[in-house]
Amino acid sequence: MIDAKILSATTFVYFSAFAFYLMRMVSGRESWGRLGSLTALAGLAAQTAALALRWIASYQMGIGHAPLSNLYESLIFFSWSITAVYLFFEWRTQDKSLGAFVIPAAFLFMAYASLSPHIDSRIQPLIPALQSNWLVSHVVTCFLGYAAFTVAFAAGLMMLLKGSLDRAGKNSRPDGAAARGKNDRNLGAPPDNSIPARFVVLIPAPAVLDDLIYQSVVLGFVFLAIGIMTGSIWAHYAWGSYWSWDPKETWSLVTWLVYAIMLHSRYIRGWRERPMAVMAVIGFICVLVTYLGVNLLPGLHTYQ
Amino acid sequence: MAKKNPLRSFFASVKLAVVLLIAIAAASILGTLIPQQEAAGPFIARLGPVWASLLLNIQAFDVFHSFWFVTLMALLAVNLIVCSLDRLPRTWRRFRSKGDPELIGLFADLSADRIITTERPRAEAADRLTSLLKKIAGPVERRDRGERIFLYTNQGAFSHFGVLIVHAGVLIMMAGVMVGLFLGFEGYMNIPEGESAAVVSLKGGRGEKALPFSVRCDRFILEFYENGAPKTYRSDLTFHQNGRDVQSAAVLVNHPVTFGGIRFYQSSYGVMPGGNPVLTVSRRDSKIMEVEITPEMAFALPEHKATVRILRVEDNLMDMGPAAKLGVAAPTGNRQFWVFAAIEQIVAANPGILEQVPLFDPASFAPYVFSLRMPERRPYTGLQAARDPGVPVVALGAALLMAGLLTVYFRSHRQFWILLETAGDGTRISVTGRSNRNEAGMNRELNWLTAAIGADGEAG
Repeated sequence: MIDAKILSATTFVYFSAFAFYLMRMVSGRESWGRLGSLTALAGLAAQTAALALRWIASYQMGIGHAPLSNLYESLIFFSWSITAVYLFFEWRTQDKSLGAFVIPAAFLFMAYASLSPHIDSRIQPLIPALQSNWLVSHVVTCFLGYAAFTVAFAAGLMMLLKGSLDRAGKNSRPDGAAARGKNDRNLGAPPDNSIPARFVVLIPAPAVLDDLIYQSVVLGFVFLAIGIMTGSIWAHYAWGSYWSWDPKETWSLVTWLVYAIMLHSRYIRGWRERPMAVMAVIGFICVLVTYLGVNLLPGLHTYQ
Repeated sequence: MAKKNPLRSFFASVKLAVVLLIAIAAASILGTLIPQQEAAGPFIARLGPVWASLLLNIQAFDVFHSFWFVTLMALLAVNLIVCSLDRLPRTWRRFRSKGDPELIGLFADLSADRIITTERPRAEAADRLTSLLKKIAGPVERRDRGERIFLYTNQGAFSHFGVLIVHAGVLIMMAGVMVGLFLGFEGYMNIPEGESAAVVSLKGGRGEKALPFSVRCDRFILEFYENGAPKTYRSDLTFHQNGRDVQSAAVLVNHPVTFGGIRFYQSSYGVMPGGNPVLTVSRRDSKIMEVEITPEMAFALPEHKATVRILRVEDNLMDMGPAAKLGVAAPTGNRQFWVFAAIEQIVAANPGILEQVPLFDPASFAPYVFSLRMPERRPYTGLQAARDPGVPVVALGAALLMAGLLTVYFRSHRQFWILLETAGDGTRISVTGRSNRNEAGMNRELNWLTAAIGADGEAG
């Protein structure tokens, strides 16, 4: 089970990447950021290799199938998607501050997969319901969607954190000398060397985060739409009905509707920044319910 | 503009759409928290009568088919139709609009780096720019206005329709659902191996539907992996119509079979209860009676004034298969003994057993010989049968929805204008453009275009 060993190691690689990104935020030194990116990329490469090995191993066992068939494999792939989508946005925006907020999610899902005693990491054969060509396209699109929403959630958290730290800073100095977070550098505000203040300085301006939330939500919205559609086609062949209001189906629709509400409010009511951040958090809670929460509800779709 | 009908502006508002989406999402969450349909039974039993009747009255146990949920969907449909019709003229104008850069004021306060001068005369510069622009932004329209030449490109004007396409897709999907609801059906049929059926029990206890053909289950196959997990559920079916077998096909999970416009899915399986064991009484190799037995029952033998009582019935006695213990009461004395269904195999495997264990001898009450036959427990296949003429409509709607989403988010209406004016011996070139989305991307492209024009100017 070489793949499981690599995957356990990846957990610690992601933790290191998170630590490096955090060091960058605290020390303000870009070299930590570069180290963080390289570590995250190494983790992604190792994880990709482990998934490939697992895929090959399943064929050697005579039960060949893509490693996307149970809770363990889905957690691994979720973590993989989060890192992949994050690195895509890091490359596009050239901003590494997001890493300290997104990579811990990739780490936590890996840790859950590797450490939870209830999760079976063995390669299992596919039960008849999963023996379908739609398995790969459905799972991949859904998880890329979830991962994009995770990035939006992290950016939302950053915006809310920056907002509350800014307010806290203002309250601690009643003379109102504290500069606004986004103008700190420009105004040459009196240097405040407390760790939260240094941390806040490196969080991008709300307008930048807002754009990031918008872009990642759009990406997730489109991927989730494709995921729901491929799932519907699959259900049409497997269950005889393209939609059966099964809890997972229903929650995926709820999630999609929450983001639809968010996008409509942005266009029509001009929502920017804080309300977008709040919606990104609410949307991500729906993603978690869709992914894990519905396993507590009865339905056709639960993970084994 | 004419004053709008208040009802129309109510239904055209995006605020209504957002409220409806929130309501639909909330109702859907409710539908996953409260057990629905068949699953609701045990839950209702645990509720007090007041709550149960209250929830029943608001159709909380069938949220997704409730009157109010359907109403929400219908309102959303009306909202989408009115809102889209309302937007249509505006969208059309934007689609057609060529825009006059001077009227919009795009050249009014252009930054210096968007203005390039070249030594080429105006006409030559215009020709070179036309071919350069054509490569990056498609067909170029040229307008000569006196001393000035405008070059204009117009790409992706269609993207203004993206939102309308998404909304049309949602409406068509809703229409497809309605088609399926009214013209389709969904139900189940359980067919034992070797038997035929021609009636579908409709879902939700909505009666039965007779098929114009019959379905025979030739074989049901269940395979397991080494770890005990199921590997294959397969039914070999034959469709029989007008007195002959028309088609044979295997139905597997994920591989339904269509016959006569109806799709058959592998849905479940089971074993038909076979009924009671049958005890046969023979005398001198001729059968004199057959009795279906249950424990504690008794019957009289036709002669010798004897009564047979069934003391026990076992499915598998001492690993030797089904057996029944009989007590025979007769004037000549009482006897108890076991009758095994598989007595011949037992004797063959254990020669002399009847002599050693007279209790196992089915001929213990001479001259009668008893034998036991277990009813066949036949496996059956559980098929789901469905016809949904709405599926192609829903698929069309979904395809439109997807195409619309991609148009909305990944296409934009991009217009470039280039103005050429004679300046001294050469030509002054001003570059501008606009996009309905992604201003940042437009700026990058304009930077790139001005750089390319500058490079082209120096190349000559």
